[in-house]
Amino acid sequence: MIRIENVTKVYRNGEIQLTALKGVSLHVKPGEFVAVMGPSGCGKSTLMNLLGCLDSITSGKYILNGKDVSTLSGNELAYIRNKEIGFVFQSFNLLPRMTILENVELPMVYAGVPARERRARALEALARVDLSERIKHRPSEISGGQRQRVAIARAIVNKPSVILADEPTGNLDTKVTVEIMRIIQQLNDEGVTVLMVTHEPDVANYAKRIVRMKDGCIIDDYPVQNRTVL
Amino acid sequence: MNLMENVKMALASIWSNKMRSFLTMLGIIIGISSVIAVVSLGQGGQHTITGEFEKIGANTVLITVDSSKAELSDYITLEDVKQLKEKVPYIRYATPVFQVQGQANSRLKSKRAYIIGGTSDLYQVDNIELAYGRFYNDAEYEEGKPVAIISNSAAKSLFKMEDVVGMTLDIGSDFAKKSFTVIGVVKNQIEMFSDMTNEDNLPAIIYMPATTLKQLFGMYGATTQVYIVADSKENIESAGNLAVKLLENRHGNRGREIYKAEPLMKQLDQINNVLGIFTTFVAAVAAISLLVGGVGVMNIMLVSVTERTREIGIRKAIGARTGHILFQFLTESVIISCIGGILGLIFGIAGAYGLGSIAGISPYISPGTVIIAILFSSAVGIFFGIYPARKAARLDPIEALRYE
Repeated sequence: MIRIENVTKVYRNGEIQLTALKGVSLHVKPGEFVAVMGPSGCGKSTLMNLLGCLDSITSGKYILNGKDVSTLSGNELAYIRNKEIGFVFQSFNLLPRMTILENVELPMVYAGVPARERRARALEALARVDLSERIKHRPSEISGGQRQRVAIARAIVNKPSVILADEPTGNLDTKVTVEIMRIIQQLNDEGVTVLMVTHEPDVANYAKRIVRMKDGCIIDDYPVQNRTVL
Repeated sequence: MNLMENVKMALASIWSNKMRSFLTMLGIIIGISSVIAVVSLGQGGQHTITGEFEKIGANTVLITVDSSKAELSDYITLEDVKQLKEKVPYIRYATPVFQVQGQANSRLKSKRAYIIGGTSDLYQVDNIELAYGRFYNDAEYEEGKPVAIISNSAAKSLFKMEDVVGMTLDIGSDFAKKSFTVIGVVKNQIEMFSDMTNEDNLPAIIYMPATTLKQLFGMYGATTQVYIVADSKENIESAGNLAVKLLENRHGNRGREIYKAEPLMKQLDQINNVLGIFTTFVAAVAAISLLVGGVGVMNIMLVSVTERTREIGIRKAIGARTGHILFQFLTESVIISCIGGILGLIFGIAGAYGLGSIAGISPYISPGTVIIAILFSSAVGIFFGIYPARKAARLDPIEALRYE
């Protein structure tokens, strides 16, 4: 499913070199739910960006679904992002001028799905996150929890094999966090692989496996005992 | 992702920034409308002039006598004109044009008169349109009959009625007057003036045979201006050359270059040329404002790209390729310029009619002008939109997502 081997990432800014990942290897099998934890600056965001095909690795290998994506061009990576990966961000990242329905339809616009099918699939995805009302409203007119549910609907609408969630509950209160985690667990139960960055142990406990990072390396990798199941 | 999707997205974005979009368009609107107004007025002017010339006759050649070199014996006589028509094969009509100021008296009224004399061909050469009666014929010309054709306004002023065929009229100078029979009334050619001024103030325009005119005023009966009409466009030049040759033979003044044949269409070409150059020049000046408008479009698109950096990042994260983003922003700038172009076209046409009615020119809006205006404004959109669009398309998705 996801296999990275000895991956490094070096950022260059003029004279200064910053090594964000120092030879990380990780293997995630289909259907897993992995929480990546660690202090800020440990490289977990860099890892997520690389896994999300938003950035290219400096050295090492990245195999996604049997395909070596470490050598792909920008446009080829965009295609992978569109088809294989669903993103859920801490700050939702919905387009403010579009309606909720249009936001969910957008990945399919770039995939070239015809308008009628787009509508049907977007409605279906919204139903899966329990959001069938206010779909003609704009993101600013709904609550934070609802916004994150829209973002999840957008992430799953192209039926990706993996969802990458970067602090998905970071901007939400406890009650809403539970709601969002329930949806993510449901999706995982249905077979979607989930990778989630978080620094909250409570949230990480919803996952099946925890990977701990520090200073650009994986320092710990273990299954979750006493997992919170909703 | 298809074009419709892009257009919809671009329109939504333009609509959400109405005021800014309109101000951006304003540059294009001003540029296109001024170019359209100038060009359609220029073309309107050309059309009017061409129309006037064609009315007089596309095949007409003016034979002139160079009066700086000519002696009285070189002037063109009525017999010359007759010979021109009989001997030169390509000449269909030939007439001298004598113009004399005189007097016209009816029983009711006395009036200043502007008297024009020629052969019976004057009717065709001058393209005279009659409201009543007829023009004088060859026989009347040969015999110098006292017949006259008068203008409509003269009829109204002298007789207080329009159809005055058969009426008599005294025409001549203060010293010699003769009684004429009115055989025709000319349709009003200069209606614009007769509507505005009292016809009593206009001089009477009177046509009569040149032979009659000659007797009436006791003139020598030679002229410096003769109009000939060739039988076809191809023969214009030959007719003129042969006419000059014949005149030189008859007057025995070959080599002195007394006579000159000038096709009226040639004059038209010259006038149109000058007008065309003038129009192009003014349009080019106006087009500079279009350039400024284009820079305005680029400026706003750059601002828009910066403002929407995060949006671009989000779009890229969920799968937009470089081409998608490029096309999205390019569509936006083209639509802004195109809407500006269409509005400019409307204002330009309105402006052309407005200015035209003041200047007395009816503007001519050719389909070519319209198409070029639209194409040109799209081209401005593409040209000035490509740089901002590339800038947007090349943004790094991670940095764009981080942008606040």
